[in-house]
Amino acid sequence: MMVKRSLVSVVDDDESVRESLPDLLRELGYEAEAFSSAEAFLASDALGRTRCLILDIAMPNMSGPELQRQLALRGETIPIVFITAQANEATRLRVLQQGAVECLLKPFSDTALMNALKTATRVN
Amino acid sequence: MENELGRTINALPGLVWTARPDGAIDFVNRRWCDYTGLGASESIGEGWQAAVHPNDLGELLAQWQSILLSGKAGDMEARLRRHDGEHHWFVFRVSPMTDPSGQIVKWCGINFDVEGRWRAEEARRARWWLPSPTRESHFRSIADSIPALVSLKLPNGKDELVNSRTLEYFGKSLDELNAASLHDTVHPDDHARLLAVSKGPGLQAVDPYDLEVRAADSFDIEVRLRRADGIYRWHHVRAFPLRDPEGPIVFWYLLQTDIDDLKRAEAQLAGEKRLLEMVAAGDSLSDILDALCRFVEDTAGDCACSVLLVDPDGPTFRHGAGPSLPKDYNAVFDGKSIDPTFGPCSLAATVKTPVIASDVLTDARWSASPWPGMMAAIDMRSCWSTPVLSGDRKALGVFAVYRHEPESPSQLQRDLIEQVTHIASIAIEGAQRESALKRSEAFLKEAQRLSSTGGFSWNVATNEITWSDEVYRIFGLEPGGPLTPDVTDLRVHPGDLPFVYEKVNQARIDGKDFGFDYRLVMPDGSVKYLHTVFHRTEDSDGRFEFVGAIQDVTQRRRSEDALGELRTELTRVARITSLGALTASIAHEVNQPLSGILTNASTSLRMLAADPPNIDGARETARRTIRDANRAAEVITRLRALFAKKAATTEPVDLNDAAQEIIALSLSELQRNGVIVRTEFAGDLPPVTGDRVQLQQVILNLVLNASDAMSGLIDRSRQLTIRTDLGPDGSVRLAVQDTGIGFGTEHAGRLFDAFFTTKSGGMGIGLSVSNSIVENHQGRLWAEANDGPGATFLFSLPRRTEGETTQDEATVHRYAAPGENGATSNTVSTQ
Repeated sequence: MMVKRSLVSVVDDDESVRESLPDLLRELGYEAEAFSSAEAFLASDALGRTRCLILDIAMPNMSGPELQRQLALRGETIPIVFITAQANEATRLRVLQQGAVECLLKPFSDTALMNALKTATRVN
Repeated sequence: MENELGRTINALPGLVWTARPDGAIDFVNRRWCDYTGLGASESIGEGWQAAVHPNDLGELLAQWQSILLSGKAGDMEARLRRHDGEHHWFVFRVSPMTDPSGQIVKWCGINFDVEGRWRAEEARRARWWLPSPTRESHFRSIADSIPALVSLKLPNGKDELVNSRTLEYFGKSLDELNAASLHDTVHPDDHARLLAVSKGPGLQAVDPYDLEVRAADSFDIEVRLRRADGIYRWHHVRAFPLRDPEGPIVFWYLLQTDIDDLKRAEAQLAGEKRLLEMVAAGDSLSDILDALCRFVEDTAGDCACSVLLVDPDGPTFRHGAGPSLPKDYNAVFDGKSIDPTFGPCSLAATVKTPVIASDVLTDARWSASPWPGMMAAIDMRSCWSTPVLSGDRKALGVFAVYRHEPESPSQLQRDLIEQVTHIASIAIEGAQRESALKRSEAFLKEAQRLSSTGGFSWNVATNEITWSDEVYRIFGLEPGGPLTPDVTDLRVHPGDLPFVYEKVNQARIDGKDFGFDYRLVMPDGSVKYLHTVFHRTEDSDGRFEFVGAIQDVTQRRRSEDALGELRTELTRVARITSLGALTASIAHEVNQPLSGILTNASTSLRMLAADPPNIDGARETARRTIRDANRAAEVITRLRALFAKKAATTEPVDLNDAAQEIIALSLSELQRNGVIVRTEFAGDLPPVTGDRVQLQQVILNLVLNASDAMSGLIDRSRQLTIRTDLGPDGSVRLAVQDTGIGFGTEHAGRLFDAFFTTKSGGMGIGLSVSNSIVENHQGRLWAEANDGPGATFLFSLPRRTEGETTQDEATVHRYAAPGENGATSNTVSTQ
C-alpha cells in the first residue's frame, strides 16, 4: 500500500548534517529535504508542505530560534525539533518554552530522533 | 742844480717824495708817477692818497700823523696801487729836514716795494722790530680776538707781547710771566718732552724757547699748562720762528690752544673703546665691571665707583664691582634684598631713574636707614646712583659714584656716567646671554646624553666629519679624537659595512636627506643598534654638507622585543582562555562530525538491515562515516595545538598598571587606526585579586573592540577613553569608552553571547570570553550606550580584601585546563 510520506525539512549550515540526516530520515520512512540556512528554507515551497522541521540552533545570519519566532509570527505551526552541538541548557529551555517539540544534542541516536519525530507528528 | 737834483731824485730806485712840515705833499718823483699812474700835480697835496689801498689808508695816516708830531724819522707801511691796478706792499721811510736852528722845513720820504717773500718777512720783522703804541694795539686787537693763548717771544725766551687771554689764564702780568720758571707754567711730567722737542739733541737749556740754542724749526707739542687756579689743562702748542733775511730767528710766535676737553673726550672714547673690546673679547663680567669702575675713577678723578647687579629672583643685589671701595662695604650689598628706603642704589634700581644723594648727612630720604652711617664709616659724603637698564627697560644693575665731598654731578660727569652705564648694560646683557647660551648648550648636551643621541656633520666637499661628544660616547671613543675612516668604520658591524658604504656613497651622489639603521660591535662583543638620519644643508661657503643625528636605539630595540614577547604571550593566553570559555565551542567543533558519524552509522545499519539490503547506500554512508571521523580527529588535533603551558595565578592586580601596559602594547595599532587615547585613572585605586594576564586580556579585548568600532569613522574624531574608579558598592571599575558606531538596542541582550558578532571579520568570541573571565573573578561586565555617539564597556571587580592570599584556583584553572579530569598543562603539548 502506498502511504504518502510526510516531509521533514532539515535546516543546518553544517554540510555533513545536510548529507547524512536526510538519508536516515528516508530510511525511517520520511520524505526529506535539506536547507543550508533559515532564509533558504523560508524562500522555498517546502514551507507549506513540511510536517516537521529539524532546525540547527547556531547558524550565521538568522539563527534557529529566530526562524522559530519568524514562523510563529507568520502563524505557521510546523512542529520543530531543534538540534545543537552546543550544550546550553538556557537556550534549550528557551526554545522548548517557545513551543519546540524537542531539542536534541548532537550527536544524537536514531532512536532519539525517531521518538522526537513521533512526538512531532502526533502533535500535529 | 734844481735840474741836477731833479734828475738825481728821479733816478733813485724808489718812489721819492717831499712834504711840507704840516705833512702836505709838495713833490713826487717820476718813478712815483710811473708806478702809480698819477700825474705829479695830481699827487701833491692829498691827491697821493688815491694810490693807497683803502684798507691801509686810515692806519697810514695815523702813523704819518704820529711821525709828524714826533718830528723824528720813521717807517710806515701800506699797499700802493700800481698803474695797472695791482697793489704792492711798500715801506714809507720818512725823515725830517731841518734848518740850522733845528726847525723842520721839509719831510723827505722814500717808498720801498717790499712785496715778495723775504721782503714781506722783513716788513713784518720791521713792523715788530719797531714796536710802537700803534703796532702793539694792532697786535692786541688781533690777538685778543683769537680764542687761544697767543704770545710773541724774544730770542732770549722772554715774552715780548702776550694777548690778554694768556695773562688771564696764567693769572700773571707780563713781567711776572717773564719771571716765572717753566715749573710754574708747565706740568712737571711734560717738561722733558717739551725740552726735547724744542731743543737740539743733548742741549740742556731750562727754557725751551731759548732761541740761541734752538736748532729746530717750527714745532708743535701737547703739554699741560697750569691755570691760575692750579689746574693743569692740556694745550696744543704751536711755535713758529720769525727770521730776519740773514737767517737768525728774531721772534717766536706761540699759539697755545686749549685741547683739554678734546683730550678728555679722546681719553674717554679710548677708555670706552677698551671696555667694549673687553665685552667683545668675552672677558668675565667682573673684570669688565672692575675696569669700568676704574675708568670712571681715572676720568672723573677723586671718586670711587661701584656696580651692583640686580638678581630678579629676589629681587636682590649681587656684587658686581667696587675696586676702590672697602670690601666690607661691598659685602653688605651682596645678596641684600632691594629695599628702596635703604639707599640711593636700591631706590635707583626700583624707580629706574638716576638718584643723586649729594649730601648724605642732610638727605631726609635715608634718615631711617643704616646707610648714612655706613657712608660715614668709609668717609664718603655723596653718592650718585644710576640704574643700568636693559633694552626692554629692566633694571640689570646700578652704577654708583661715591665722593668724599657733598657734590652733585656736573654735566660732563653726567654724560660720562650715562655712557658707562650704557656700556655696563651691554656687558651685563651680554653676560646673561652668554650664560643662557651656555645653559642651553648644557641642556642640549644633557638631552643628547639622556636620549643617547649625538649630532654630527659631514662636509661632502672636504670629507670633513665632526661628532658631538655623545657620538664619541656611543662609539665608545674618547671625545675629540681624530675622525678618519679607519676610526669611523672600526666599530661598524661587518655585516652592515657594505650597506653603510652604499648608503653614504648614494648620499654623496644624489645629496638627498636619508636615514638608516645599522649595528656596531663594541670591543666587549656587545651589539649596539643605531638609527641615523642625514639632513642636507650648506656650509658657509655654499658647499653641500650633511648634518644629522645618530641615536643609540639598542635600549629601544630591547624594549620593543620585550613588548613583542609580552604581546605574543598575551595572544597565547588569549587563545587558552578562549578555549577555556569555549568548552561549548570545542564541543560544537567535535560534536558536529560526531553527529555526522552517528547518523551515517545508523543509516548504514538500517540500509543493511532492510529487505533487500541497500548495499550501495550502506557503502556510501559508511564512507561518509569514515570521512566524518577523520574530520573529528582533525578538530581534536587542531584544538590540541592551541593548548598552552601553564595555569593561571591569583595575585593582587593594579588595574591602572595593567591598563597602562595594555595601552603601551596596543598604542601602535591604535595610532595606525587614528585613535586618540585618553586615560582617566583614579589616583588611589585599590588592587583586585586575580590573574593579571587574563584581566589584561579583557582590557585588550575591550580596547581593540573600541578601536574596531571606530575604524569606519570619518565625520568625528576617534577617541578612546580608559577610566578607572570605585563603584558605589566599593568595587573597582574599569571603563573603555569609544566614539564609534555603538550597538543597536536590538543587540544589547546578545552582546556577550558566544558567536554573536556584528563584525564582518569577527568570531563573536571576544566579549564572551571576556565575560567569562570577569565572571570568574566574581565580577560583572556590561555595556552602556553613550549620551553621545559610541558605547562604553565596563567591568567591575571586588576589591582585594585584607589577608586575601589565594582564590579558588580550580575556578581559574578551568580556562587553562581543557581535559575532562582537570588535566593541566603537563598533559598538554608544548609544541
